Amino acid sequence: MRDLSLSTAIKLSLFAIVAASISVFAPAYALQQVAIAIAYAIAILGLNLLMGYAGQICLAQGTLFGVGAYVTAILNATYGVSPLATLPVAAAVSAAVGLLIGLPALRLQGLQLAIVTFGIAAAFPQLLLKLGSLTGGVSGLPVDAPETPGFMTDVPELWLYLIALACAGIGALLVSRVLFGDAGRALRAQRDNPQIAQALGVNLTRTRLWAFATSSALAGLGGGVFAIVSGFISPESFLAILSINIVIGSIVGGVTSMAGAFVGGLFMVFVPSWASDINLSLGNLIYGLALILIMMVARNGITGFIEKWISMIFRRAAG
Amino acid sequence: MTLLDIRDLSVFYGKTQALFDCSFSVGEGEFVALLGSNGAGKTTLLRAVSGLLPFKGSVFYAGKALDKISAQTRLALGVAHIPQGRGTFTEFTVEENLSLGATIVASRSQVREDKERWYETFPRLRERRNQLAGNLSGGEQQMLAVARALMSRPKLLMCDEPSLGLAPSITQEILAIFKSLNKENGMTLLVVEQNVDITLQYADRAFVIEAGQIVASGTASDLIGNEDIKKSYLGVAG
Repeated sequence: MRDLSLSTAIKLSLFAIVAASISVFAPAYALQQVAIAIAYAIAILGLNLLMGYAGQICLAQGTLFGVGAYVTAILNATYGVSPLATLPVAAAVSAAVGLLIGLPALRLQGLQLAIVTFGIAAAFPQLLLKLGSLTGGVSGLPVDAPETPGFMTDVPELWLYLIALACAGIGALLVSRVLFGDAGRALRAQRDNPQIAQALGVNLTRTRLWAFATSSALAGLGGGVFAIVSGFISPESFLAILSINIVIGSIVGGVTSMAGAFVGGLFMVFVPSWASDINLSLGNLIYGLALILIMMVARNGITGFIEKWISMIFRRAAG
Repeated sequence: MTLLDIRDLSVFYGKTQALFDCSFSVGEGEFVALLGSNGAGKTTLLRAVSGLLPFKGSVFYAGKALDKISAQTRLALGVAHIPQGRGTFTEFTVEENLSLGATIVASRSQVREDKERWYETFPRLRERRNQLAGNLSGGEQQMLAVARALMSRPKLLMCDEPSLGLAPSITQEILAIFKSLNKENGMTLLVVEQNVDITLQYADRAFVIEAGQIVASGTASDLIGNEDIKKSYLGVAG
């Protein structure tokens, strides 16, 4: 147990160092990009809980992210609620929608569930257009920038970054509370052997729905942060492919790793644009090859790969 | 007093019928064995009682009809089921497996207390409490499965083929533990087995199941000497 908390402490301090140096050295525009990556990372944290620990698939995480973003934007643009105050509502509404999506998960597993959830993701952007009076339709909705504290007015992006980081911290805390408690044990048990878990008193229905709700709440929180950081949202931002990209971010980062969620978020934002920077006309080709390469080399995602190397180096050094 | 009363129990897998109007009962504080060869329906019967399979007919536990009660609630009422093949969660530590057995227990102090108690009974589990359960030997995994089931403080402990894949001496050890739970704690036991001779040394009574039907019953001492039953139903060469 002491080893575990030691390695957690090391990881947390590493994380703090990286987070602090980004805030100091990154230019303002990049800071906003990183804040968007963190918004995705919050959604990935939820998906990791659902895919990595509960063993359920959801190809509508981008939709739930979008629901959260629109809750924030509608409350702010239409009802004048201050942006930060909308975030808990965004999480709660997405959790409720996620529960509805989770209901078929009680009957369907694996591939069928993938298709059902993807169906929701495919329908969502058009639904946003149809509900134009609420969502602003194709022209989207603006979101106010949250009031920046006085000493930071020169770089409002830094404030956005810190907000995103704080929300991610809350998300990570929530996920770790779930994972290291009774609920996490029940989650893993029903994934590894549902029948025996049931014989030991695990309520499969409740456990699975709960995993969906938690995962969706995080998607909603991430979406709300995305809306605030972007300052403007439209259906374009929540196309079906976003749900696939979140799954890719989750797997590339490392589906059972919390740090992996952040790696995944950064990957989603930066790697496709880097690929296009290398050669504009070959961007997709380079991005695709990068995905293939990563999965060949690092089956447990980038963080799994790094952890493997670190533990190997430590073992060499120790013996 | 009757604790478990099974009347005309039938179970279907789709259109295939696996159990045919089975009836028998287990008294409170009894140690009962359900004997039968492979595919006789032993596992199916335990699963129906613990809530993992729907059934026709009726099952009463402490006077309560179980058919509309969930597996979780049956466990809370005191019906615990140790599955065939032990059902070890191999990626969990020994201790986590025990915690999982206490899923329905709300009181943390009770969980702590019970873990200590079963570590006393199974010292090898204490030595390996922080290891992955997948690294335990077969016998240790069976002990873990027993201790895990006991974490919910059951009144009726049902065990599906404890001898499976174990050396006879280990099987004896497990059955002896069942016997002491039965004698000292008054726990009621229903043990499903193919291994007739060893089981009858410990059980009070036994039922014989064959092709989904209860075909014989008697006290352990009656059945031990009954070569006909052994030969016809249990595949024991005389």
